[in-house]
Amino acid sequence: MRLPSFLRLSPRWAPYVFISPFLILFAIFGVFPLLFSLYLAFQSWEPTSGLQAMEYVGLGNFAFALEDEWFWKSLKNTAWLALASGVPQHLVAIPLAVFIHNSFKRLRDGVIGAYFLPYITSTVAIAIMFSSLFSKDFGLINAGLHSLFGVENVDWLGKAENIKPAVAFIVFWRYLGFNVVLYLAALQTIPKDLYEAADMDGAGRWQQFFHITLPSLKPMILFGVMLSVIGGLQLFEEPFILTGGKGGIDQSAMTSAMYLYRMAFDFNDFGGASAMSWLLFALVVLMTWLTNRAFRPRGGSV
Amino acid sequence: MGQVSLRGIHKTYGEVPVINGVDLDVREGEFLVFVGPSGCGKSTMLRMIAGLESITSGELLIDGVRANDIRAADRGAAMVFQSYALYPHMTVAENMGFALKMAGVSKAEREEQVSRTAEALRISELLKRFPKELSGGQRQRVAIGRAIVRKPKVFLFDEPLSNLDAALRVDMRIELSRLHKELGTTMIYVTHDQVEAMTMGSRIAVFNQGRIEQLGSPMELYNKPATEFVAAFLGTPRVNLVARPNDAGSPSHRAFWQKLVPPESAGIARAGLRAEHVAIVTAAEGIPATVVLAEHLGDASVLHVRIDGLEDLIHAKTGADQAHLVAGDCVGLRPAAERAIYFDATGRRID
Ligand SMILES: Nc1ncnc2c1ncn2[C@@H]1O[C@H](COP(=O)(O)OP(=O)(O)OP(=O)(O)O)[C@@H](O)[C@H]1O
Ligand SMILES: [Mg+2]
Repeated sequence: MRLPSFLRLSPRWAPYVFISPFLILFAIFGVFPLLFSLYLAFQSWEPTSGLQAMEYVGLGNFAFALEDEWFWKSLKNTAWLALASGVPQHLVAIPLAVFIHNSFKRLRDGVIGAYFLPYITSTVAIAIMFSSLFSKDFGLINAGLHSLFGVENVDWLGKAENIKPAVAFIVFWRYLGFNVVLYLAALQTIPKDLYEAADMDGAGRWQQFFHITLPSLKPMILFGVMLSVIGGLQLFEEPFILTGGKGGIDQSAMTSAMYLYRMAFDFNDFGGASAMSWLLFALVVLMTWLTNRAFRPRGGSV
Repeated sequence: MGQVSLRGIHKTYGEVPVINGVDLDVREGEFLVFVGPSGCGKSTMLRMIAGLESITSGELLIDGVRANDIRAADRGAAMVFQSYALYPHMTVAENMGFALKMAGVSKAEREEQVSRTAEALRISELLKRFPKELSGGQRQRVAIGRAIVRKPKVFLFDEPLSNLDAALRVDMRIELSRLHKELGTTMIYVTHDQVEAMTMGSRIAVFNQGRIEQLGSPMELYNKPATEFVAAFLGTPRVNLVARPNDAGSPSHRAFWQKLVPPESAGIARAGLRAEHVAIVTAAEGIPATVVLAEHLGDASVLHVRIDGLEDLIHAKTGADQAHLVAGDCVGLRPAAERAIYFDATGRRID
């Protein structure tokens, strides 16, 4: 049976038709918002007044953002959180991965799974769990600190100077397992005879770690740090949920991503929010480039 | 300097025995080759000498000092790995100087020694490169250089040439022999390759199932193998082994046996004869056989022929004058009986 000719696909067009679902969806949900936000960055617009309320303001939004105290504050918060959660992530994940790699044989997968679990758990669940753990009078963390070190109850989420460390810890805790998995994968690719050669050359455990393991991990460190930089600069969910979307006391856990969200949806300034998001994007690109420069492996891969 | 003694060495992995009592004295300055079939424990033995593998029981002496519990770096042994095992993120110079760096040698001293070694190996122009920028042969040289820089008492090589192509292997073989003469250091060399074993070794140790089957100079092993195993392991094509014919044996089999073995020889169970000691004549003049496969190499021919009543093919290596033979031809065999090797029922050679 043959289909009527208007239903038949010519071989010339068939490939385009078959990939069109992706392209159409990508255009609607990927390309369009991107271009629209770029366009919006140069407009003053309050969406409740309709599309015709747009007004071209040139670089006005960017100028506003750069003069906006809160924008700078949010950038500082973001940088602080990215560093305080990102640096320990790698400093802990690398030795931890090496330890798991060397010490666990049969239990290995279970141990990795335990570390990986937070990464695949819903942010909301994690945030709720930690708000109870961090609670001032009944939280487990204060109880633990009190019984171990006799520390007075700390108001983790109610005091400006305490919120940031609390958020940083949650982010650290959540992504640690992910980094451990990255590094474990990389460790498995280091040939065993490199260590044997180093044994013969008289390198001890530490020297082997610094002269063989670390340099061999460098490509993965680059990748992991890059992901941390990108993720850190876009940090949103954890502080958003933990501080009820407002950024906490004195906005001390308000990240840039949160601020531009509030700019758009709380303050109805979509032009300003778009401008900020492009500034943030530029910052991500810059930091990624710097990371790449800093961690590029010597002599390339094997 | 560079004398290694093994006294009753055993190695087991869990319950599995891998080395079953090896006694061996490696002489100072000699080039000793370990050969044997895959899985017989050559690498394991080498790695135990190196200190990369623990010794289950027995004693390892290096220059008369018990070395069982000395850590790898302090045994004075340097190893060249089959995979080269060069540190990928270090330059050639850093690779070669790493052991010195670990030993706390000053930078200037290190550079001096590395460049001197590099010159001897003709790799000076490579010092600034990274391993991935080198060819296989160059990597091999660097790996050897890394071993030499440490001025070890003994070099350990585990199939160092097996990743190289045939032509390069020949070059490196010559190079290694030259190096051995120049340095005069003891070398222990593991290989699969018979040619390497025969041409490079001052002595060869043939391993079989975790034991040394025979130890001796290449020609000794070739001409006077202690066992059938050694006879069969060395030489291509394989040595011909003919079993004593029983009452039901075919006439050709009996005739061949009578040609090979002296009349009063009750203890002989099998006779071995190398392919080059089987001459090809016309069917009427020798023991009749049929050519099954003829390999003409140009300068020589290898003929695989069947004698009626013998299960295994007989291999014969002749000059180029037999290049006209093809499969199916009938020929005669004339064994050089005076070159035959006799074995008893347990596979040991009888004089
Ligand atoms: N780590 C290990 N655990 C258990 N068995 C091992 C281990 N390493 C080697 N073996 C076993 O020991 C035996 C000898 O191994 P070895 O590597 O010494 O052989 P080899 O003579 O070097 O063989 P090849 O010529 O193939 O390299 C093999 O049967 C191998 O399966
Ligand atoms: Mg081996």
